[in-house]
Amino acid sequence: MRLINEITRDGFFWIKENLFQSYLNSLMTLLIVVFIGYLFLDFLGFLINADWTVVEVNRRLLLLGRLPLGNEIRGWLILWFSMILISSSIGIWGSPNIKDFLIIFIISLVIFFIFGTLNSIYHILITYLISFSPYFFSKYFLRKKYFELSKRVLIFSWILIIPIFIIILLIGNGPKPNLWGGFLLNIILASVAIVAGFPLGLILGLGRASSFPVIKIASTFYIEVIRGAPLVAWLLLAWFVLPTFLPNLFGLNEVSIVVRAMIVLSIFASAYIAEVIRGGLQSIPKGQLEAADALGLSTIDSTFNIILPQAIRVVIPALVSTFIAMFKDTSLVFILALTDLLQVGRLIPEQEPEFFGRQLEALLVVAFLFWVVSISLSNLSSRLEKAMGIGVR
Amino acid sequence: MKNKKEIIITENVEKSFGNFQALKGITATVKESEVVVVFGPSGSGKSTYIRTLNRLESHDSGRIIIDGVELNDDVKNLEKVRSNVGMVFQSFNLFPHLSILGNITLAPRKVKRMKKKEADDLAMGLLERVGIPEQAEKFPTQLSGGQQQRVAIARALAMQPKIMLFDEPTSALDPEMIKEVLDVMRELADSGMTMICVTHEMGFAREVADRFLFFDQGLLIEEGSPDHFFSNPKEDRTKLFLSQIL
Repeated sequence: MRLINEITRDGFFWIKENLFQSYLNSLMTLLIVVFIGYLFLDFLGFLINADWTVVEVNRRLLLLGRLPLGNEIRGWLILWFSMILISSSIGIWGSPNIKDFLIIFIISLVIFFIFGTLNSIYHILITYLISFSPYFFSKYFLRKKYFELSKRVLIFSWILIIPIFIIILLIGNGPKPNLWGGFLLNIILASVAIVAGFPLGLILGLGRASSFPVIKIASTFYIEVIRGAPLVAWLLLAWFVLPTFLPNLFGLNEVSIVVRAMIVLSIFASAYIAEVIRGGLQSIPKGQLEAADALGLSTIDSTFNIILPQAIRVVIPALVSTFIAMFKDTSLVFILALTDLLQVGRLIPEQEPEFFGRQLEALLVVAFLFWVVSISLSNLSSRLEKAMGIGVR
Repeated sequence: MKNKKEIIITENVEKSFGNFQALKGITATVKESEVVVVFGPSGSGKSTYIRTLNRLESHDSGRIIIDGVELNDDVKNLEKVRSNVGMVFQSFNLFPHLSILGNITLAPRKVKRMKKKEADDLAMGLLERVGIPEQAEKFPTQLSGGQQQRVAIARALAMQPKIMLFDEPTSALDPEMIKEVLDVMRELADSGMTMICVTHEMGFAREVADRFLFFDQGLLIEEGSPDHFFSNPKEDRTKLFLSQIL
């Protein structure tokens, strides 16, 4: 009882000190309370009147797009494979606390309510099993006994993740890439753009900082040209213009729209990543390179062992923010007539008369899915920063 | 000392940065196992001079021959010279993302292709020599300035150089840490290492150096034994500078 008294007293004290310590301040506080209250009541009203059948009926379209019937298992396999990787990586490297577990639990519960139904209940149970057991297995067994080996296997699997996704989608007479869609398409395009764009961006960033004029000018030209036009323009260019004036080498004109989108997104991402990397390179003091030179290290050795590790650590926040931007930019592929998550969410309420006027529900779910991935990436970024913070200058 | 071979030969070395001529024709030699102290007012070219000796600055004209190898645009020669010449900087320049052990073992492993175990043993031996073996697993920022500079010396020694260059190694240190670094340098000098030090620690210089070089405005004004400088320096500029710092 005394404790509660103390807490309320401290609480009142804090409120008085921080929210009402002057007339102006009190006025601002009241206005903001009214504003937030209004928004909250409005949202509450929406939630009460909301009809989620639009999402329930179309959840397959939202997640997989026009992927032909009978191919759902490919989507599940991709989800399971990713969950095993994520979960064992957290087990090996991470140190999640109660708060993290709570957030993960709430998010997965929401996802379950949105997308879970009776006929996929077994798949969902398998998903939960697969999402949590590798964590405990890697934390309490692998981390103790086979730490180095499992680290290597994990890194190797992460590098191979895109080929594995694509194999899962194509193996055994899988659907054509043009039929990939929904959230699956966003995830695949974003992973390709990031995984292919990063090494390319690294090379371009180093190239632009290079002292060889030819390499420097070529890299600068590439970066400035790519950044000079909007992504939509490049996507359209890849769709309409490329086939008309490129020679039809290596079947270049027949490659599917999805592959073209992958190429354009990777190229686009690499230009931005290059500039981020260059910013990091410039932050390294000249003395570091001098010390490496004086020790007789070759340019390659000092670049990969001295300069890049420090430069990348500095730019992790900017790098991850580029990744998040690229992930959200994948929704622009609707311009190539591909049905990504956002496009599906936008079209369903328009095309089916029974769902007229239910845009908000559909778009809210779309936004939620984008948010879950973005917030996970940003969380990963801050963890990486902390983990690599040891020995900061 | 007379029979020792000349390990560093510089003839008429010139170096300009834009319009500013930092070195206006320096001719000097250093013999094996000799300890040479270079001093002079700031902007005199003394740092530039020792930085040309491992080609951190390339000279515009003149000749530099280190242990029989001429420094020029030939990369092979440069590799040979750099593996024979260790350098210690004013601002330590340790690699902040590597542990102390990682800092010392990097060059032996990458340049000399040494095995990890072998390099670690070498590094531990050197850390013992500079008196801080217990810091091996820490990172540079966790160490004091004096300890960092001793690690920097160990890092340079790990390449088993014949010559050590010191570019104002104690100028960035608090007074109470200067001694621990000078003690390491003294031990190094006693062990017969060829050393060229840019320093203003005249007490240490007088005790350890075989020879002084006095630089001013890009010129080698005067050279001679410490006793010569402290008893009767010839040049007016030397006298003036010594009267200011002593």
